[in-house]
Amino acid sequence: MSRLHGLRRLPDGRLRVRLTTRERDLLRALPDQLRPILTGEEPAEQVRQRLFPPAYDDPVDELEYREMVGPGLVAGRVDALDVFARTLDAGEARLQTWTVELSAEQAAAWLSAVNDARLALGSLLGITSEQQWERGPDRSQPSSVALWYLGWLEEELVTALTGGLPDATDPE
Amino acid sequence: MPAAPGIAPERVDQPAGDEAPERDLPWSVIVWNDPVTLMSYVVYVLRKLFAYDESTATRLMLQVHHEGKAVVASGPREKAEMDVHRLHAHGLQATMAQG
Repeated sequence: MSRLHGLRRLPDGRLRVRLTTRERDLLRALPDQLRPILTGEEPAEQVRQRLFPPAYDDPVDELEYREMVGPGLVAGRVDALDVFARTLDAGEARLQTWTVELSAEQAAAWLSAVNDARLALGSLLGITSEQQWERGPDRSQPSSVALWYLGWLEEELVTALTGGLPDATDPE
Repeated sequence: MPAAPGIAPERVDQPAGDEAPERDLPWSVIVWNDPVTLMSYVVYVLRKLFAYDESTATRLMLQVHHEGKAVVASGPREKAEMDVHRLHAHGLQATMAQG
């Protein structure tokens, strides 16, 4: 793998993403899988509960919270998925390398999409304890390999976006 | 000699605590451990949303990791609810509780 493979923060604050075309194709399949889960078109209650956890113990308070913020939370996640898909359709492929430059907002949308995909895969694969990571990916299961790959990509995104945070300030 | 003791009208006893109805107690914003979410991501979100410095955000993340949860903010109900909403928008398991 080229040393240029992965994410790099450019001097102007944009992020250059360089992946293999195979990785790019794997990522491009995610939005169409995640979107119906987010919107509830596809019955996946367990995943939806993880993606949209409760705020309150009290059922009445929780119902009010859900009615107030639920549609906005779904819309925000779907918007991020759409940005993720559009930027994956853009970029430039040369031989087996695909490259795109992301604005800070687009990079934040990538982080949202990748984090949601990991949460959904983790839920579908039944990951309920951190000890399960010690086994490594189950190479016979594409979704397990995808979860590990997305973990690498998310670490890259977090590192790059952390570089764009304002200087550390005192806690509130 | 001073005037006769026993007259001290300024010493009216204040009602003890009765003026603080339950609705005024602050709410805590709690982040819960999750076996899938990356530790680095939790630190990033806490820094981004609450402007915590890296060591504070890392300490809170480790508390979540080792103890299962941590209070990451507190305040009036409306502010706590907004904080939970922002944490939910970032995919963290957050709840709020009074006191």
